[in-house]
Formats: sequence, structure tokens, C-alpha cells
Amino acid sequence: MAHVVTPLDQPSNYKDSQARVDRQKQNELLARSTTLYIGNLSFFTTEEQIYEIFSKCTSPEEGGGIKRIIMGLDRNTRTPCGFCFVEYYTHSEALACLRYVSGTKLDERIIRCDLDLGYREGRQFGRGKSGGQVRDEHRQDYDPGRGGWGAQAQRLEIERRREVEERYADAPDGPGAIAGGGGDWKEAGTADNPLKRARSPDDEGDSGRTGARPRLDDAGHDARM
Amino acid sequence: MSYGHRRKQYRGADEYDNDRRREVYDTPEQKLRKSIINLGEVDPVQELPRLAKQIREQVPLSVPAISEGFRIGVTEQPFKIPFYAALLRLLYDPDPDTPDQSSSTDASPLGRQILEDYWKGFQAFLDKLAWREIRLCIHFFAHLTVAKLISPDSMFEVLKAFTAVLEEFGASHGRAMKAAQCAAEGLMMSGSAIKQDPATDVSQIIDAISSYIDSVTVSKTLVQPIVRLYGESPLVEHADELLDSALAALKVLNESDFAQTADNIPQPYADFPALPDEPFDLPSILVPPEVIELDGLTTDTGEDAQVKKEEWPQYFVRLFDADITPDPTTPVGYALRSGILDLIDIFEVNRKECARLLLEFPKWQLPGTFKPRPGAPPQEPLPGKDWQLESTIIEAALGSVFLLPESAHKPVYYIALITELCKLSPTTVGPAVGKSIRKLYSFLADGLDVEVAHRFADWFSVHMSNFGFQWVWREWVPDISLSIGHPKRAFMRRAIEFEIRLSYYDRILKTLPEPMQAADAYVMPEEGPGPDYEYDDPAKPYYEAAQSVLNLMRGRTKAEDVVSHLDSLKNTLSETADGDVNVNAVLRSIAVQSLLNIGSRSFSHFLNAIERYLPLLRNLASGSIASNTGGSNVEARMDILDAVSSFWKRSKNMVVIVFDKLMQYQIVDPTDVVAWTFTHGGVHPAAGEKTTFNAFQWDVLKGALDKANGRVMIARRKVTALRKEEDDNAARVKASDSATASMEVDAEAKPAVMPAAESPALSTALKAFTTLTREQKAALSRTLDGFVSYLAAEDRLSSLAGDVITEKAWQNRANWDQPEWNTWETWCWYRHFSRTYSPYLRNYVNTLADAALTKVSSSSADPAADLFRKTWNIATGQEV
Repeated sequence: MAHVVTPLDQPSNYKDSQARVDRQKQNELLARSTTLYIGNLSFFTTEEQIYEIFSKCTSPEEGGGIKRIIMGLDRNTRTPCGFCFVEYYTHSEALACLRYVSGTKLDERIIRCDLDLGYREGRQFGRGKSGGQVRDEHRQDYDPGRGGWGAQAQRLEIERRREVEERYADAPDGPGAIAGGGGDWKEAGTADNPLKRARSPDDEGDSGRTGARPRLDDAGHDARM
Repeated sequence: MSYGHRRKQYRGADEYDNDRRREVYDTPEQKLRKSIINLGEVDPVQELPRLAKQIREQVPLSVPAISEGFRIGVTEQPFKIPFYAALLRLLYDPDPDTPDQSSSTDASPLGRQILEDYWKGFQAFLDKLAWREIRLCIHFFAHLTVAKLISPDSMFEVLKAFTAVLEEFGASHGRAMKAAQCAAEGLMMSGSAIKQDPATDVSQIIDAISSYIDSVTVSKTLVQPIVRLYGESPLVEHADELLDSALAALKVLNESDFAQTADNIPQPYADFPALPDEPFDLPSILVPPEVIELDGLTTDTGEDAQVKKEEWPQYFVRLFDADITPDPTTPVGYALRSGILDLIDIFEVNRKECARLLLEFPKWQLPGTFKPRPGAPPQEPLPGKDWQLESTIIEAALGSVFLLPESAHKPVYYIALITELCKLSPTTVGPAVGKSIRKLYSFLADGLDVEVAHRFADWFSVHMSNFGFQWVWREWVPDISLSIGHPKRAFMRRAIEFEIRLSYYDRILKTLPEPMQAADAYVMPEEGPGPDYEYDDPAKPYYEAAQSVLNLMRGRTKAEDVVSHLDSLKNTLSETADGDVNVNAVLRSIAVQSLLNIGSRSFSHFLNAIERYLPLLRNLASGSIASNTGGSNVEARMDILDAVSSFWKRSKNMVVIVFDKLMQYQIVDPTDVVAWTFTHGGVHPAAGEKTTFNAFQWDVLKGALDKANGRVMIARRKVTALRKEEDDNAARVKASDSATASMEVDAEAKPAVMPAAESPALSTALKAFTTLTREQKAALSRTLDGFVSYLAAEDRLSSLAGDVITEKAWQNRANWDQPEWNTWETWCWYRHFSRTYSPYLRNYVNTLADAALTKVSSSSADPAADLFRKTWNIATGQEV
């Protein structure tokens, strides 16, 4: 079904300037990516709101679901700066969002979704000079949802701002800063020692296959436990 | 399947130029195909001769390329099918530019060559059982039959090949329904030609469809959008079943010998002169059987674990009167609605284009079918037509959302599509949406299925979140006087709850009129969503103990150290606590709530907290702190789930999310969550036993069952992949073996051949599969058990279970109070469970029946037990 119209679930031509993969490799990765970049969020939008709308594209009965959400933060202030990553367990869920959610409103702003290579350490922070996103460096318009507000802004939003400012004050960086979201089901450890989970042969099977795959910087985002 | 458009996908700097070149240098064949696909951008009828000329002038003439253009056009733009039929008819005419060429007598007309090639494509669709494509090709053939390019008797035989499917033994409903649709729609469009042929008897087709419909009567009772728990007949108001509609429309057409067809669908070829050639005889066909790829995986008790989605009769909700939107049981109504449904289905890949094409739909219909657009020149309204386009589209889209047990695509697709329609034409689509909401709301009082009501609230909230939450709540203010359990009040509360989740409390509060803002209106929650840490006040019991745990966690103390702290707390508390206090439960509550507290700022914070304290959670779940026995401890896990539900009591969605991750990290099993939702169900333990089942419990239950089923799915995929890998390896080994053998070199390099042995990875995967199917079965069994204990056991918990299901009680529902409505809702969720998980239930029917159904009351005069068993039998495909 692609002869008459262009499907909406195509990745954009965005190229992450800091990703060390060539375009062909990037396209291969995107063709099975489970991660979405979400843009044009209000600084006030919470992860729970994001979860709510993006859970409508999940297929849990197929083994899918939302694995994790990574909120984009201002590098300096550690406050949300208007983007996030949503990571699913399956590729088809990410595609469904491009078809059904991208271009609709969340928190009364039209949000944009794009397939992403996957979270890597450091990508949770804005890359603009001031710590936020680059697009907000050059923006001329007044956007109350993205920090561009003044006296006429609603008092309600000031209240929300306070909550928002405190929320991520503790956000760490470096390895292990972002939770993994839980991996595939694994055989449980032995009953007599529930604290210690034996490494199951399953893991070896897994790592064996990982070894066979081409090793890539960006494939290592599956931060399990 | 990739043509011009697809290529645009990665238009980055380094590929951009490359792309452009490709677009500029479309081959002549591609250009021609595009012209065929784009037929009718301005006026299809006017364009036909020009396009026919362009096709003829193609050098070199490639029949396969042309027929592919037709195939794409027909299967992806079905609204153009009548015009493609006319185009093909034109291509039968001798080439006007080369008159009197003797060569034209020996070669068959170009149109004929295209049709012969087109048939090959149809055969390919048939072999793949690509039902939508098959059906749309049948439409094309039907028009060609009326245009006298195809012989009526051969068309009749093709249609009969589809009704033959209805007589197959054990054909699934999905297969039968699609075959019946092909036969019915083909006959609707070609009946006028077929019936004139004395060699045919259209009543054979109609009778075959009719008797098939009679044979599925009983399953209809389980999927109607308007619930009737009493009575045997599936007759229902406010909805039409797809095949019923088709049959009704066919009967109407047949009565007038299909004379109406020309008033229903465009036939732009109708005035063309008759052809001298013999019409094409469609070859006879056989609809191939469904191929099920068996992977031979069975559960530990030997059931086939493969799940095949069941398809059910399709009831579409009817929201408008026949003068506003066409009645789908009439020929023209059926044609219009199925045309719209096809558009919605085909253009799922691009909802924006879909919305645009839907609003252009009238262009492809007979003039006067729909009211002219505002601002368009007025037209003489056709009696019996002149419908509202937007209402017709919204009705079809919502009808698709509310199909039971589930819609073809995710509901959010249709929701987003309606949003696009509103954005394209707010002044015309907006009112249609508003009227639909009011109509659906009124159905709530008349038995709108709870799952439909759930999706209605979902659509409502997402839609409103896209349009500034502007709804006229004022008009529903009087309904605040209804019983608190009334579906209308449940709807208002749920819709508001969903809106808050997408927005925030104060924003939504502002959208409500004053009477609805009050707490006793039971529309807004009393407080905004947020955590409730039970130990946040020095006056509360265990404050000190909880603070000590919380402080350790805040300081990121290692999990083992928190565990040993809990152990010492246990000793302290045991010494001081009263005799009847369950110290273990208190400790679990403290530990889990403290952990949730440090993770309460956001979903990510929660994930971080849970990952940091996984060992602690495992320890709690195994009951190690509570007792010295290791291993499974159901009570401990119920305590954990209770603590979550208590902590997030103001944010029910958080309960579902936390449960999901607790299952993901294997702290609790799906079966634990199922058990919890039936026994605890989110009420405070002090409020007594849970005796009915509500929408929140359903969300929890669905999360658990989907998790169990999803795991089996993943395990199955893994086994399949590993087996394939092994087969490939074996093949490679074999190949290299024979290679080395033939060269007779170094025998040592020969890898050992292990024909029967499995690799360790595969044995592990198989073992996991066995474990997970056992878990899946346990979760389903626990669910059935839960519903039995609520509704149908001798000592059932819902004391009204037998009362609310009678006709008399239903007619008296205006006097129902919360207990009656809650019990009615419990029945509805049981029905929804049965139909939704019917494929899984069928697989395990015997085990489940043995485990749970034996507890159903066997008393002979127990209507509740009868209804319970009947529902079960329908869902599992047994004799009712």
C-alpha cells in the first residue's frame, strides 16, 4: 500500500550529528528501531502524560509495551527542555506512533515523532548553548509552553513550573543514570537463594548471538539491570 | 512493492540527488502506470478518452505494465473501480488513429489482452488469500460484467466459488465472512447482468449466504454493542451486522431484478455501444484453503499453543437516522458504507490522506448522493438521498472503533483520523462529532456494552485533548441525579479521569460547569492525581519505622543493607505490636511504599528506584522478610500489590503501570495480578471483600493476561528463530561436509554432526516456552475462577447475579441502584473476557473447564449459572 500515498511511518531525514554511523548503517538501524524521538513538547508535560498517549500504540499481547521514557533535560538546570525519547519493546509499536500520534496534540501542543537510533548516554540533555534544545536558541516567537513566558502567563503554570523545576533536580548523569525498563522474561533463580539470580544458560545464548551481530556504538543502549 | 513514493523516505543530503534523478527519469512504463493510478484528478469521465489514447500510444506497448496500473488502481483506490471498468471498455474499441488496419483483426483488442493479464494478478491475490484485494477485484469484474466485457455465467460461477466456502466443514468465521462479502458485493454490482442470463440462478448465492448467517446466530449475541443479557434472539437496535446488511441489501435488489443498481453506483460505461467481440469467460476458480503454519509447539499437557485470532460477526453502531446517513441494509447504503470502510482500511498508512480522500468521496458517487458542500452550487436534492457526508463518515469510523471484541486497527488510528477530518473541515465535521457523542451517551442508558463505553471515553478524552477540551458539559448536568452506579455517571467520571491523565487536574476542572465541579457530583476526583505515602505524618502508626527505611533509600543505601534494616525492624515491631497486627504485612507495606515514594516524581524515577532495589523487591516477594521459608509466597506478593494500589490510589493509571513493571521485572507473576484484581481489586481491605468487577479491575486484568500471552508469543518467536538458525547451520554443515568429502582433505576439520540433539540455547528456549505456557494457562484459569466466584458459584459473591439478567429487571433499570449496575457491569466484563481471549480459551478449553467450570452452580434452576455456561460455550465454540 504505498503506490498511491506515502505512508506516515517513514523516518525523517534527520541525521544525528553525534552518531558515529554512516547513513546506510543508520537506515538499517532505524528499520528495526524501537525508540522514538518526541519533539515540540511543552516544558511542563510530564512523563505520565507522555505514557498515557503513547501507551495507546502498544501491543502487549505481542510482547510489546513501553520500555522506558527518557525525558530531555536542560544540561544546566536539569529541567525538561521540550523533547523526550519513548522506547518500546517492539519496532511495530514505534511505527504505529508515527502513523497515529505524530502530528496530534499532547498537552495542547502538536507533537512530532521520529524514529531514533536509540538512547545513548548523554542524549538526555539539550545540545543548545544555553543548555536547552538548539531550536530554542534561535526561536523568535513567544511560546509559553517552552519557557517563553512573562507576566501574562497563567498563575497555574507558575505553580506547575515549581513542581517541574524540583522534579529532576536529582537527575544524575553518567553510566546507569537511566533505568532500563526491564528485559525479556527470564527463568527465575533458584528458590533457596532468591537474592542471587543465577546466570541462566539463556543469557549465554543471548550474548552468543549478540556477538554475531555487527558491533555498533549505538546497539549498546539496552541497559539491563 | 516499492515504487516512486517509497524512495523518498531517506532523503538526506547524500541521497537527495540520487533520488531526484530517479524521479526525473521515471521510465515510460512507470509514467504510464502513474497516469492510470491518477485517473480522475479533475474529472474521471472527461479524462477517460485522453488516458485511453495515452495508453495506446505507449511505445513499446507493455500489457503487463498497463494491467499492473489497473491492479494498483483497483485495489488501492476502490472508489475509482467503475471508471477503471469504463477505461478498460474504451480499450476494447479499435484504435481510432489506425483505422482499417488488417492486423487488428487477428490480434485481440488491447482491452482484452489487459483483462487476461489482469486475471493472472487476481489469481495471485487468490493464492495468497489477500481478501481485500480479492474482493476489490471482484468489484472490478462485476462492473466489467455489466459492461459486457465478461460473460455473466462465468462471473456467476466465480461468485459461487466463494459461496462454496460457506459450505466448507469447519471454515472459520473470518474466512466465511470474507468469502460471503465477495459473493454478496459481486452480485450486488453485477446482478443486473447475471440475472438476465437464463443459465444462472442468483437465488443460489443469496440462499447460501442466508443459511450461513443462520448458522452463526448464536455467536452474535456475544458481540453486540448494545447488551441484552436475556433472550435468545440476537435482534438488536442501533446496530447492524455486516453480513446481515449485505443480505438485506441483496434481497431488496433481487426483488426488482437489480434494476436499482444504476441508481446506487456509478456505471460510466453504461452508454457505450455494444461490442462485437465475445465476452471474456472468467476461468473457474477454487478458493484455496487457509494455510496454517504449524510449528508443532505444544504445552506441557499437549495442547496446541498456537493462537489463531477468531473473527466474530461485525456489528456497526448506527448513530443517525436514515435521512441523515444512508441505511446500510439498503443497496445504496451498503455500497456507500462499505466504500467508506474500504477507504479507512486501505489508507491506514496515512491518516491525513485518508481524511482528505474521505471528504472527496462524493466526487466518485452519483450526483445528489450527498448534500453539496457549503458554498458549492445548490443542487436539486434527490428524494431518498441527499445524505450528510460527514455524519456518514464519522458513523463508519466510530462503528469501526466499536467493533467487538476488538477493532481491526488500534482505536487510536480511527481517533486520529477523526481528528484529521475535524482539522480539514471543522465547520462540517465538528457538528457530526458532537451529535455522535450525544447519541452514544444516550445509548449508555440502554445497555451500551461496557467495553464500547470504555472506548467511547477513550475517544472522547483524546478527541477533546486535541480540541481544547471544549465540550458542553452543561447539558449533562441533570444526569448528576442518576444513581452513582449509572453508566452515564460512570462515563462522565471516566472521561474526566482520562482527560486529566492527558492534561492536568486544574486545567480540566476549569472546563466543567460549577455543579459538576462539586465533589458530590462525583464527576471530578476529589483531589488531583498524585502519590499517597501512608507514613508521611508523625501522627500515623509506624511513622518512625517508615522514615528510617525511607531515609536509607533516599541516601541510596545498598539493597542488602535495607534488607537487614528491615529484618531488625521486624524484631522491634514484633515486640511492640499488638497481637493481631501482621508485622510482615506492615513491613512490606513500608518497604514498597517507601520505594515508590523515592520513585514518585516520574515514571523514570520509578524505574530507577525499582532497578536499584530489585534485590529488596525479590526478597519481599519471596516472603523472606516475612518468614524464613524461601520460594513462592502469594501472600507477600498480594501485600506488595496492595501497597502499590494504596500508594497510587489517586492515580489508577499508575497502579496499572507499576504492576506492569513489577511483572516485567518478575517481582510478581501475571497470575498474582489476576488473583489480586479479583480478591482485592483496588478497594481498601477494610472496605470488605470485592464482589463485583469494574473497569479498573479490567485494566489490571488485561495488563496481566496480555503480559502472560505476550511472553508466550516472544518465547515462540525465539524457538522458531533458533530452530531456523539450527536448520540453516545443519544445512551448511551438510554442504561443507559433502564438499570436504569430495575433496578428501583433513578429516579432522569435519564438524561433528548432531542430527537430533538440540543446542543448549534451543533447549532453554523450549523450557522457557513450557514454563510460560503453564503460566499463561494459570492466569486464564485464575480469571475464569474469579468470574465463577463472582457470578455463578453456588456461594457467589455477587448476590444479584441472577437478578439483573432477566428481562423484567432490565425493563426496570430506571430504578436500579449501584449494586444492580455493578453486577450488570460484572456480567459485561465476563462477556468481554470470554470473547477477547476466546482464541486462548479454545486452546485450553478442557483444562480450564475442569479447573473452574466445575464450581459453577449445578442447580437446575439457576439462570446465572446457565448464562455463565452459555457465554463460555459460545466463546469456546462449543454447542450452546
